[in-house]
Amino acid sequence: MFDAVVNNFPFLMGGFWVTVKLAFFALAGGIPLGILVGLGRISRKKWVYYPVTFYVNLIRNIPLILVIFWFYFVMPIIIGSPLDPFPSAVISFIIFEATYFGEIIRAGYQSVSKGQIEAGYSTGLNYIQTTRYILIPIALRRMLPSMITQAIVTYQDTCLAFVIGLPELIRRATIVDNLEVRSIQLYGFVAVVFFITCYIGSLMSRRFEVKEQEGG
Amino acid sequence: MIQIKNISKWYDDFNVLKDINEEVEQGQTVVVCGPSGSGKSTLLRCINGLEPFQSGEIFVDGVSVGDRTTNLYKLRTEIGMVFQRFELYPHMTAIQNITLAPIKVRNKSKKEAKAKAMELLERVGIPDKANAYPANLSGGQQQRVAIARSLAMKPKIMMFDEPTSALDPEMIKEVLEVMINLSKSGMTMIVVTHEMGFAREVADEIIFMDEGSIIERGTDISFFQNPESPRTKDFLDKILI
Amino acid sequence: MYLVQGIWVTIKMGFIGWIIALSLGVLIGTMRISPWRWLRFLAGAYVEVFRNIPFMVQLFFWYYAGPMIFGKSIQFQINSIIGLNYYVAIIALGMYTASRVAEHTRAGFSSISRDHHQAALSTGLTHPQMYRYVIIPYALRIIIPPLTTEFLTIFKNSSIAMTIGVLETTFMSYKIDSETFHGLESTTGACLIYLALGLAVVKLMGILESRLKIRGTIGR
Repeated sequence: MFDAVVNNFPFLMGGFWVTVKLAFFALAGGIPLGILVGLGRISRKKWVYYPVTFYVNLIRNIPLILVIFWFYFVMPIIIGSPLDPFPSAVISFIIFEATYFGEIIRAGYQSVSKGQIEAGYSTGLNYIQTTRYILIPIALRRMLPSMITQAIVTYQDTCLAFVIGLPELIRRATIVDNLEVRSIQLYGFVAVVFFITCYIGSLMSRRFEVKEQEGG
Repeated sequence: MIQIKNISKWYDDFNVLKDINEEVEQGQTVVVCGPSGSGKSTLLRCINGLEPFQSGEIFVDGVSVGDRTTNLYKLRTEIGMVFQRFELYPHMTAIQNITLAPIKVRNKSKKEAKAKAMELLERVGIPDKANAYPANLSGGQQQRVAIARSLAMKPKIMMFDEPTSALDPEMIKEVLEVMINLSKSGMTMIVVTHEMGFAREVADEIIFMDEGSIIERGTDISFFQNPESPRTKDFLDKILI
Repeated sequence: MYLVQGIWVTIKMGFIGWIIALSLGVLIGTMRISPWRWLRFLAGAYVEVFRNIPFMVQLFFWYYAGPMIFGKSIQFQINSIIGLNYYVAIIALGMYTASRVAEHTRAGFSSISRDHHQAALSTGLTHPQMYRYVIIPYALRIIIPPLTTEFLTIFKNSSIAMTIGVLETTFMSYKIDSETFHGLESTTGACLIYLALGLAVVKLMGILESRLKIRGTIGR
């Protein structure tokens, strides 16, 4: 009954691997960038605050698909030669997800009480040290559940790289479907893969939430 | 007025009330104190049917609370309750908070309900705040509105669940004053509180509860000066500086 | 221009999808906190399934695999409906967003403390009265900000429908590129359109929020 899936399993799972890789790079780039974006959003220096805010509000209003497209067209013009889908997708994702992580982490920064920062300064630490050793760790720990949720969203969004031809899971499923037309099995399979992985992810996130509340 | 007989209650496995017996006569003010988790708040909620209990009986003015045929909604119109966090409806003004139940349950006209509400607001000392929203009122003011809201239904009994625990110190007095006046006017009251000054002034009986049982009872003098049980002594030591 | 046609499709998808999402979502959210265990389970299962599977996957499933569920004969009929992708997209969008609306609704209700319920009941109100005059108006005001975000998101997600060929804004910008190679301009134009839509939604919900605020909301 699941013959289409079983026969093409290696091929499909190759797509899953691409999905995971894309998500991984997106997060590896998006989260650090997000940490910086968050800092920019709470900055008091106008030359930092306004551009960053503009960038964040711009990206958050546009669908990811459009960002992916836009990048795919823009990059060749700047570089002079067309890009492979994977790098293009990674960069688009990093730029996109950084704004979302940025906002989450910003909320984390704002939840750190002024007292804790002042305590850091009063022991002689400078801005970079205070930020690095006090502000960021506390903020990240607090926002861990939200960040995990957003990471899961990023993972789900990798599907959208479909439109620039990236051979991730759903595109491969479509390719097989065009050959064998076992749509229910194939797309059902994709759905189940995502459901299981995301559900486990959200359970983990809930575990962290409880731990966070207990730890304080 | 209130008869509590052998009340026991479990939350799943946890025995929160263990064979409680108590009688409150009309016009009496009973103060209940004890550490957190001792079951005092739960006991209050059993009296007006907000929480069910597994064994025993409670009679309020002859009505059996545990009886399946009892109309609990009607019962609650006779018992007023004031909560620790005030619980005013945030989307309504003070006067709307007070008039909601009289209009919807007792079918009073808006005019009648409003007039009575203004009377009550005067009684608790804030007639000028009638059209204010809870967000614009101080904690003490909110709690006084909450008291007025309960009184609007002309209950026979008033219950208070740690009414001043969430208040800043400067506001505790204004609320306690309202409660003292209420007690002196003859209202039957059960008050869960740690405010021993209040207890000394108006309590006819003070009950100490711990871990679901009533450990000790006394009138104000005997309770504070000669507590019998070591647990009571311990507790009083902690709360009386 | 093509883009203009696309905008109209995007707007229609967004609004109709939103209506489906709101009605279905609030219903499911309410089921999630109802006293009946099997209702809670059903609603919970719905939310988990629709939340954990990416929207695009859902869309593909309904569009390609969906008709097959009904058996060969009906399948053929369904597939010959003109503009099927448009209808499937709207319904899929509605069902997906409904799961998110359900979560917001549930969170809104959960945030109202038990004591608050009890305070209302202690004045003698019946349960239906309590829900009507106290709980529901309060919950509504709590969930408006998250619902605004969802409304915004629905317009963004409508762009995903382009993958099944719906002629909406993003698809059109792609089409323009493939025909005229002016991809940069067309996608920039599309970006601006989404920005404008976003602003409009925020404005709209802002008016709603202030209308309700005048009646005095939670100052929290």
